[in-house]
Amino acid sequence: MSPEIWSVILLTLQVALVSTLLVMLPATVLGYVLARYEFWGKSVVSSIVGLPLVLPPTAVGFLLLRLFAVDGPLGRENLGIDFNILLNWKGAVIATATMSLPLVARTAKATFEGINPRLEMMAQTLGHSRLTTFFQYSLPMARRGLLAAVILGFTRAMGEFGATVTIAGNIPGRTQTVAGAIFSAQQVGDIGKADFLMLIAITVGFLAIMSTELLSRGRTLHGMAR
Amino acid sequence: MTGTESLALAPALDALRVNIRLSLDCFDLGVDLTTAKQVTGIFGISGAGKTSLLEAICGLRRQAQGRISLGQDVWLDTDSRTFIKPSQRHIGYVPQDGLLFPHKDVRQNLLAGSKRALQNGHALHETFDIVTHILELQPLLNRDVTTLSGGERQRVALGRAICSGPRLLLLDEPFASLDLTLRRKLLPFLRRLRTEFHIPMLFVSHDPIEVQALCDDLIVLKDGAIIAQGDPRAVLTETQIFPQAEQEGFENILPCRLLDGNGSTSRVRLGEGEGDQACTVELVTLRSEARPGDTMLAGIPANDIMLATKRPEGLSARNVLPARITELRSVGSVDLVTAEISPDLPPLTVEVTEKSFVDLGLQVGGEVFLVIKATSCRLYESGLSAR
Repeated sequence: MSPEIWSVILLTLQVALVSTLLVMLPATVLGYVLARYEFWGKSVVSSIVGLPLVLPPTAVGFLLLRLFAVDGPLGRENLGIDFNILLNWKGAVIATATMSLPLVARTAKATFEGINPRLEMMAQTLGHSRLTTFFQYSLPMARRGLLAAVILGFTRAMGEFGATVTIAGNIPGRTQTVAGAIFSAQQVGDIGKADFLMLIAITVGFLAIMSTELLSRGRTLHGMAR
Repeated sequence: MTGTESLALAPALDALRVNIRLSLDCFDLGVDLTTAKQVTGIFGISGAGKTSLLEAICGLRRQAQGRISLGQDVWLDTDSRTFIKPSQRHIGYVPQDGLLFPHKDVRQNLLAGSKRALQNGHALHETFDIVTHILELQPLLNRDVTTLSGGERQRVALGRAICSGPRLLLLDEPFASLDLTLRRKLLPFLRRLRTEFHIPMLFVSHDPIEVQALCDDLIVLKDGAIIAQGDPRAVLTETQIFPQAEQEGFENILPCRLLDGNGSTSRVRLGEGEGDQACTVELVTLRSEARPGDTMLAGIPANDIMLATKRPEGLSARNVLPARITELRSVGSVDLVTAEISPDLPPLTVEVTEKSFVDLGLQVGGEVFLVIKATSCRLYESGLSAR
């Protein structure tokens, strides 16, 4: 295996890992809020959160590009700070994070919805504040579902192409991830390389989906023993 | 510490005052109650608003309007915009479905409210030991709660509530989801907790036997409103309530102590007193496996007692008890006769038809004999044996 392929795989892992760490906390909180609270405009918030799931990834990438452009709302001219994310790995992180957040948040929401809210009420009657209840009861009770959510988010981040290529490009050695490398290899007719990367993508994807299956089955078995 | 000692030393209980309104799906809950008894029963069919009432007292129903206080502490006062959070009310809540935390084992569940108990200066370790002993939880402490049986789960839920050092216990039909045999087995646990911990308790139940065995005061809830309150036996035999009580299995419940067994029968002495204070009335019942001296409860269905105006002879029934009629009451198609067999015992309720009522010429103050078959006397062991 060539060092070039290694650098592609390492960069892919790096981008996916950082983006997953970035997304984990806000997506969990968002999932919890959407599962437990009723507030004005909830369905609008919920729809916006789900939007990246249905938009063309290139549209999401282009939107990010406009936001972070020098004269964009989050650009240097408006904020006075240069995030310096265009055409480098940080841009890829922003793109993959945006694309995987809805998946993590929605899975987290479904997980919290599966937990009896009366258990949280019970924790409160036993003297725990809402915050303590969330950290000591809601989170541990949701741990399997949340782990599955994070695995799905990580896998989604690893496979992201459209948004990433729009904002970070597909520059070998700098912003080229597995998804981009397969595309480039196929374009130049390097079938061997494309095959190899495809097999890696399939293996990672399969393991990820299977582990989430096992996590949810474990939860069901757990429940049936009652 | 025996039961009588702990009761003698116990300080007066804080009065619980609840005056609230709460809109429910089918009707409005409107309750105004005050109680300072140790165990107050809330009786009523399902859907009468019992669970909503308890949840409002816990602070889990934010929509509830009105005032709730325990002693000097005000938990809810809509007028002064007071709302104390559920976590600050110091209530031990035992719901019908237990609500054990699936991510904690039995010991961790029991200690889920321990932080508060310790902050309040509660003697947690002592309580934990007594609770695990009385509820027989010692062998379960390291078990995963998802592997527990229904009865075990409810005992853990009960123990968890008590270990949180509560000022008030709310029990919402804690045993309703269990089969009858198991329910009767858990009754003694509750009686022991009642004796051991001087915590005021609201006990929701639609089981007349549980209610009589545990409660000092009874409130009947129907369609969200209180329709009766008072001594449990008196309330249950009220005209509008008795038909429902009987449908749920009304029995006369009397405390008793096992004397001895002989073949297929046992002898019990009625009443709670010992030695000189012991009541002399004895009852022959079906054989009990308990030890002589153990205290238990005897249950006699109101329609399993026959009345005679003269002492009958040549009967197969093993119990003929002289009694004095204290009250006569008509309840629909039957009449209820209340008869006292001893000043130390709660009176017995006997169901007779209107016809026999007239034929026998029953009158308040009249002397009668209660005829009870040994097979009609059920024994509920209360587990308060000398330990």
